[in-house]
Amino acid sequence: MNYKALAYQVLIFSAQWALMLVGLGLLSRIIAPSRLFEQSMPFGRILDAGIKALAALCLSVIWLFLWDRQVRFLFYRKKARAEMPT
Amino acid sequence: MASGLEGPLVVLLGMAAFPISLLLTRFFMSFNSARGIYGVDVHKLDKPSIPEMCGVSIPITLLVLSAIYTAIYPRDLLMMIAFSAVVASSSIVGAVDDRFRMRGIYKPALIVFCALPIVFLGYLFPDQVYNPTLRVPLFGGFNLPIIYPLTIPIAVSVTSNTVNMLDPLNGSMAGGITIISAGLLAGLLMKGAESVSVFLFALLLFASLGFFYYNRYPSKAFAGNIGQLSVGAAFGTMVILGRVEIAAIVAMFPHVQNSFFFLSRIKGFVEHREVTAKPTYLSEDGKLVASADAQSPLTLVRTLLVGKPSQEGEVVSTMFALFVFSSALGLATLLLM
Repeated sequence: MNYKALAYQVLIFSAQWALMLVGLGLLSRIIAPSRLFEQSMPFGRILDAGIKALAALCLSVIWLFLWDRQVRFLFYRKKARAEMPT
Repeated sequence: MASGLEGPLVVLLGMAAFPISLLLTRFFMSFNSARGIYGVDVHKLDKPSIPEMCGVSIPITLLVLSAIYTAIYPRDLLMMIAFSAVVASSSIVGAVDDRFRMRGIYKPALIVFCALPIVFLGYLFPDQVYNPTLRVPLFGGFNLPIIYPLTIPIAVSVTSNTVNMLDPLNGSMAGGITIISAGLLAGLLMKGAESVSVFLFALLLFASLGFFYYNRYPSKAFAGNIGQLSVGAAFGTMVILGRVEIAAIVAMFPHVQNSFFFLSRIKGFVEHREVTAKPTYLSEDGKLVASADAQSPLTLVRTLLVGKPSQEGEVVSTMFALFVFSSALGLATLLLM
């Protein structure tokens, strides 16, 4: 078993899990309860849901970007020692 | 909530999936061999031919035992219809892909349609199939009456295809799903969840375990797209019906990483076989080595091999250790909900 890789992955997963909980907290406590459009407006309910979905999407993109940075930093910082296939 | 003896009883019914799946896999190994349905195990030096599409044993097991469960507990009929429809239709998509080699974009697109029975049944019978209130760990939850049903087909397609993508090594798909299902099942039992959720996770756990017996390293049977897509779709459906969405995402962290890094490098839905810059290669001493080609995708297997070429069995063990950790995080998430 590759214990070093496993330890790095455990670190990344733990960080992503913590970030996910923070993001879900932001969504459920701040973004979801806010009323961005009046419900009485034409399509107000749909616009409100759409904007909130967009906010969730943005948070997901940031979350994945941080994941990407961690993997590249921990695993691909140095030039891979593996040789090219012959 | 499962009352009295109902919880243990539905787990026992789910356990029946193990012998059924085991026997069916053995049967399909012979059946498919006799019809020349083989795949090449490219990560072995002697490149053996292994019976392909044997993973069909899993959806058959799921469908048979779902029917038996429905006969015992007819109150969950709608959920089981939705589950069975998704499993059956995704199996057909997988079988077509196995036999006719579809382009990469068709699989996710077709699985979206396979998940529509959940949406339609949920629309016709509100709150009897799925619940649009997303439960969030620590922070309660929020109601998503518009967005939730729209995301169901996408969610099922994502789980199905991500499971399909993380089966590059012997036993990685079946073993991974077995571990994830076990983690979530433990959480559901601790929370005293509904019988139907407990049953579905026990069912997938033992059906995958039966197939894993022959699929483990060194493989004697390959799942094929029929097994991979149907298992992924079944898992996605169970997650929605069992209301464990967030916990399942956490348990699937290895899948998320693999698919995200594959798609972000390839920038599109492309079949693995069509990728020219392979993420790993086999060295002359039979070890898997991470490719140094900057164009090849940073798959999970490639990442685990960086700086340490390993035998296939070692990489699979590392992957399983990762699944155990992500499932433990998933279990913790479920207990926090």
